[in-house]
Amino acid sequence: MSDRATDAGTDDTVTDGDAGTADTATGDDTIDVDPDALLRVEDLRTVFYTEREEIHAVDGVSFDVHEGETVGLVGESGSGKSVTARSILGLVDSPGAIEEGAIYYRGEDLTDDNWDAHRGDIAIVFQDPGGSLNPVYTVGNQIREALRIHQGLRGSEARERAVDLLEDVGIPDARRRVDEYPHQLSGGMQQRAVIAMALACDPDLLVCDEPTTALDVTIQAQILDLLGELQREENLAILFITHDMGVIEDATDRVNVIYAGEVVERGPTEDLFEDPAHPYTRALLQSIPGRTPPDEQLPTIEGEVPTPTGPATDCRFAPRCPAAFDACTTFHPRHQPIGAEGSDRTAACLLHDDTHDRTPADVYDGTDGFAVSGGLGGPNRSAGRDGTDDRDEAAGETPGSHESQTDGGERS
Amino acid sequence: MAGTAEDGTAGDTAGETAVETSGPADPRSGSAGSAADARRSTVLPTSSPLLVWIGIGVTLFLLEAGAFFDFVVGLLADAAIAAPAPGPAVVATVKSAVTDALESIEGAAESVPTLLSRETIPNGGYWTGQGWEKTFLGLSPHLSWGIRVALVYAYAFAWAGWAVLGYRLYRREIRTVAWSPRDDMIDRFRTHSWGKFGLLVVFMFVVMAVFAPALGPTTVEQNMRNSYSYEMQYYDTQTDEVRTTLIGEANLDSQSIGSNSRVMPFTYDNYGRYHPFGTLPNGRDLFTFIAAGSRISLIIGVLSVGLSAFVAATLALTAAYYKGKVDLGSVLLSDAIMAMPQLLLLIMLSTVLADTWIGGIYSGAFILALIFAGTGWTYMWRALRGPALQVSERQWVDAARSFGQKPRTVMRKHMLPYVTGYLLIYGSMRLGGAIIAIAGLSFLGLGVAPPTPEWGRAINLGQDYVTTGSWHISLIPGILITLVVTGFNALGDGIRDAIDPKSDTESAAAGRGGGA
Repeated sequence: MSDRATDAGTDDTVTDGDAGTADTATGDDTIDVDPDALLRVEDLRTVFYTEREEIHAVDGVSFDVHEGETVGLVGESGSGKSVTARSILGLVDSPGAIEEGAIYYRGEDLTDDNWDAHRGDIAIVFQDPGGSLNPVYTVGNQIREALRIHQGLRGSEARERAVDLLEDVGIPDARRRVDEYPHQLSGGMQQRAVIAMALACDPDLLVCDEPTTALDVTIQAQILDLLGELQREENLAILFITHDMGVIEDATDRVNVIYAGEVVERGPTEDLFEDPAHPYTRALLQSIPGRTPPDEQLPTIEGEVPTPTGPATDCRFAPRCPAAFDACTTFHPRHQPIGAEGSDRTAACLLHDDTHDRTPADVYDGTDGFAVSGGLGGPNRSAGRDGTDDRDEAAGETPGSHESQTDGGERS
Repeated sequence: MAGTAEDGTAGDTAGETAVETSGPADPRSGSAGSAADARRSTVLPTSSPLLVWIGIGVTLFLLEAGAFFDFVVGLLADAAIAAPAPGPAVVATVKSAVTDALESIEGAAESVPTLLSRETIPNGGYWTGQGWEKTFLGLSPHLSWGIRVALVYAYAFAWAGWAVLGYRLYRREIRTVAWSPRDDMIDRFRTHSWGKFGLLVVFMFVVMAVFAPALGPTTVEQNMRNSYSYEMQYYDTQTDEVRTTLIGEANLDSQSIGSNSRVMPFTYDNYGRYHPFGTLPNGRDLFTFIAAGSRISLIIGVLSVGLSAFVAATLALTAAYYKGKVDLGSVLLSDAIMAMPQLLLLIMLSTVLADTWIGGIYSGAFILALIFAGTGWTYMWRALRGPALQVSERQWVDAARSFGQKPRTVMRKHMLPYVTGYLLIYGSMRLGGAIIAIAGLSFLGLGVAPPTPEWGRAINLGQDYVTTGSWHISLIPGILITLVVTGFNALGDGIRDAIDPKSDTESAAAGRGGGA
């Protein structure tokens, strides 16, 4: 797989496009990842085998994280964010399995059963702060457990270090708190204790799986500040997983937008927020409350993330995409470079694929939204219909959830 | 406020109400703390309750220190004798030296006075025509025996009270945490009458087993095993004089075999011996038989349930941790064992293994425990599998795995505490089942070899006389077995309701879905 990592260029895509649907279905669009990165995920595919079907929860995800930087992984619920995090830590249990791809930590492939060798180098902070703490042991006991494994500390030495760690994560009166049970701490304090537990492993990479989702906004801001501070002090790399675009904008250097198990757009956070290339990214940004004028209804993305049960043969976002055209249902888009040379931005959308004649200019109105007012989920969902003569024919072929969109289009 | 901590709405509420900035000066601040303060007045009126508590414990221990040392030394001596010594002569010499040393210590231990021995409060005296000789303070044997039994139980309850006191002391004075989830479990159990009834029955049964040698009016050795090696004195009413005879001879005259010749409960036989539960058809004392039998039932029960619990918990946790093929394998294995007809398997194994060396250990009790454990763990495993799978999905298990904790430690530290409650429930219920099964095998003439007393054998011995005047022989052990098994089940019920936070709400019935 990795040998194809570099050949996702335009020429290759043209060939694939000509070859037709069958080839696109199997073709993987591994994107360019930096071989020197701290963590390098290449074409990761994690499949869950249920009695009825295979669920491709993570379907060809590639990204990298460099030392000391914060990389975001953003997407809706069910898009495969958490499974990606669990895959990185080797926590995927039966009936799930990592079927393909590689996860390189400092150049070593963890999927070759190397997790145990790097335990503690990668630590995770889960969403539910109470859930990560075992209620029958004191906070200190659980931090000492990690200290003992990774730093070989025992007894009073470990206790002192645990108190230090709790102080580092901003828990007041740490000397007393260290002997308290999780239920005696508030949600914010629990999450701080969990972060202290992760830091006890002395990690180089901290995977934060929605660390602030269960917390209220003020505590959320405090935790984000804390993570930023820790990153500066300890040169931590952070993989930040969330569904909250606002948090991504605040906290990350680079971002990967994930949809239905695939990365659909990646790039530096600032650039991506300024000019989203993928309609899904655009839609996510539109649904941030602050970005819409106060008197307008907040746009939403209708429908829900499909559960991928097989290899992709089309654009998985097409049924919900206001900018979809007929090719979207027959071609699986590959990552295309966006913007200037070397800007390190790519998007997997046919709008940016030169083999298809539709361009972003046709569908975007130059602002955040789409060409038609109302945009996402609005009644006049006819965005991007101009210049697509074959659109109505294609509508007949599109399955299921696509129909509502087509109906909307006909009415307008 | 106090209600929140007490009524068992449990960890969730307490977690939310805990305030980040709760005062550092008083560790017991908060809702649960005030509840504890309110009841602190009941604690010992002294400045150092811990010392008083330890003092009580030491005093209680000293009362029976002799019996305790006697037991420990006896156990060591038995182990030293039983241990094989195939090695060179040096080993044999060392071994014999050790055995000798232990024997001398045993003699010393026996000389330590104990409060509750039959030497201190004897009841095996005889009537001289004017008064009782060799009984406690010259009282009649049944009074002497009654005093000893009452003292034994009072002593046992004193220990129980001491333990309760210790727990309260710990909860209010020693630990820094004002509330823990266990408190709610204990409080729920304290309001569970059925469970408390079970606990009382089980406690009295265990006391009977532990103090079996002191409780019986006579001993197994004198009355049953070697009754022709011991003499006794009795008052011959025809000649008005004290005579001496062998206990075995006396037993022949005290048989309960029908309506004409019988010694009923709470009566004396012709030799001035008191029989609280009457005698067996062979003239032996039924109460002594039952007290000794309770010990062997309890030992087999605890050993077999302990082993099954160990196997079941290990397998359930391993399967829940690794899932997939390991889980499937354990399901297949236990289903295969469960598919075999249990009783037939028991009968076959106990017959086949009866003559092997392992079948001889402790009159065959050890092999019985092994057989029960080997066939019985599947039921416990089945009850544990669900909870184990559930806890394996908890995030703290993943958290521990993510920072590289060893699988064995994750299972022991982060998963086992969540299945121990189920282990207690099903262990308690299986213990009752084991006692019934042992009695059933003895009833069929299998299992524990005679003359070692076993409740089921008493029922078997008495079954010919159920319709006659000697109905007590089968009835008393039968009632006791029913009572003890009910007690274990009630205790299991109580524990289950106690560990289930939903049980004291209106949906109590729904909370009982544990499958038991």
